[in-house]
Amino acid sequence: MTWPDALQEAIDLFADVFDPMERYEMLFEWAADVNELPVEEWNDANMIHGCQSQAHVECHLEEGAFYMRGGADAQIVQGLMAITCLAVNGRPPEEVVELEPTFVDEMGLKASLTPSRSNGFLNMFKRVQDEARLLMEGS
Amino acid sequence: MALDMESIRADFPILSRKVAGGKDLVYLDNAATTQKPQSVIDAMTHYYEQSNANVHRAVHTLAAEATEQYENSRDTLAAWFGTTRDNFIFTSGTTEAINLVAWGWARSNLNAGDAIVITEMEHHADIVPWQLLAEEKGIEIRVVPIDTERDILDMEIFSASLPGARLVCVVHTSNVLGVANPVADIISKSHDAGAKVLIDAAQAAPHHQIDFTGMGADFVAISGHKMCGPTGIGCLLATTESIEEMEPFMSGGDMIETVTMEKSTFATGPQKFEAGTPKIAEAIGFAAAAEYLANFDMEELHAHIRGLAMYVASELQSVPGITVYGDHSVSEGSGVVSFLHDTVHAEDLARFMDAGGFAMRTGHHCAQPLLDAYGVTSTNRVSFYLYNTMEEAQAFVEHLRTIVEKFG
Repeated sequence: MTWPDALQEAIDLFADVFDPMERYEMLFEWAADVNELPVEEWNDANMIHGCQSQAHVECHLEEGAFYMRGGADAQIVQGLMAITCLAVNGRPPEEVVELEPTFVDEMGLKASLTPSRSNGFLNMFKRVQDEARLLMEGS
Repeated sequence: MALDMESIRADFPILSRKVAGGKDLVYLDNAATTQKPQSVIDAMTHYYEQSNANVHRAVHTLAAEATEQYENSRDTLAAWFGTTRDNFIFTSGTTEAINLVAWGWARSNLNAGDAIVITEMEHHADIVPWQLLAEEKGIEIRVVPIDTERDILDMEIFSASLPGARLVCVVHTSNVLGVANPVADIISKSHDAGAKVLIDAAQAAPHHQIDFTGMGADFVAISGHKMCGPTGIGCLLATTESIEEMEPFMSGGDMIETVTMEKSTFATGPQKFEAGTPKIAEAIGFAAAAEYLANFDMEELHAHIRGLAMYVASELQSVPGITVYGDHSVSEGSGVVSFLHDTVHAEDLARFMDAGGFAMRTGHHCAQPLLDAYGVTSTNRVSFYLYNTMEEAQAFVEHLRTIVEKFG
């Protein structure tokens, strides 16, 4: 899949790092770059269920393009949100619903993709796609 | 005599694997499940390679071997837990054992208005079945709170909860705090009040020799996989009187005496509660786990495990920002240390530890009411077992200090 330039740059950066500790450190720092959903806007409606951390996501359309904002109390989860913003923001919602979250695999973060009841990333990605689907139907 | 750690670790093949880009695995999630020694793996493999057949049915050689091995496993385990085969029911684990008490005994012996006493320290497996049963039967649930200052159950409220109670369900050792409850006192007071007692021994059986007869409880629930056995197997120990009072919870083959299209009659004793083809290889593996542990003095194992937990709990107290939950100054309990850093999120911390090769648990540990009592939604938890070493405990503390200094 062809990714947006900003995401491809992020993938290349992570792919060059072989130490999982260092990759998590990078994600930790990346958390600051998320299109932030401020804590004041966190509520039950935008909460992502099934996460070990508190994670919230808000999605909307701007001139037909999909945009998400996110926030989490775990920095690594928020870092994954920041990366996801690079993957989905600015795309038509029709493309967002078709995306496979393989960019995380390409970044060497496969452990974060392991299916589990408490997997923050997959729950978040599914939620973003569900929101995109709702926005498609509503637009 | 000191434990031969090199020899013990050599018994567990998984401990030599590398994780996180070539780092040594330091497995500290033993309260969730323990690793399996080669003897358990071999026992299960040997059964599948040489004797696999259904039990209690056919007359051919393999069926006879499978039946003999399965039933010998029951005898081995019953003896290990201080009881006999007549008081031993195979289940899939502690959760099914507790559900068997709820739906096999309590459903047919309790009525609307009767009370069940549980505690705030319980695992969800010892809360949810009672809530479902209470809803169905109109049974009252009385909850004994934990004194969070002293990390023990409030025994005054416990005593006050007993009048009129028919069943008391208590966790022997907390999976979050590692704290052991005064089980003998609880059983004695409950019996004096005319209530039966169910002990959730999932976290106790791996650390203490369970003596069902000596303990005096009416029911004890145990999981195999937390004591070196395979997953999917455990047991309910129950007194003869209790078994006689129980009705089948699941029905089907292997638990019947006769079946006609109009009516069925059931087997008696434990077999009445073991419907369908049993978990044969798992039962054999569970018995092999008990035989493995029988090579050791359980008190010596416990002292070793507690030594590691007490060391880590003590070291963590001096790490800025860390709160340790549970009282680790006492010798009872298990090898669990729960803690939380005030700024590094539990999930972030666990991922950083994983990247260093350390397997630990994060979350509510299926004990949300207990965490609510402490005002937290999750903790980090390390839990030690016989194969963990002081070097691992020291490396854990060192790696954790590095992370906290960097990200705290």
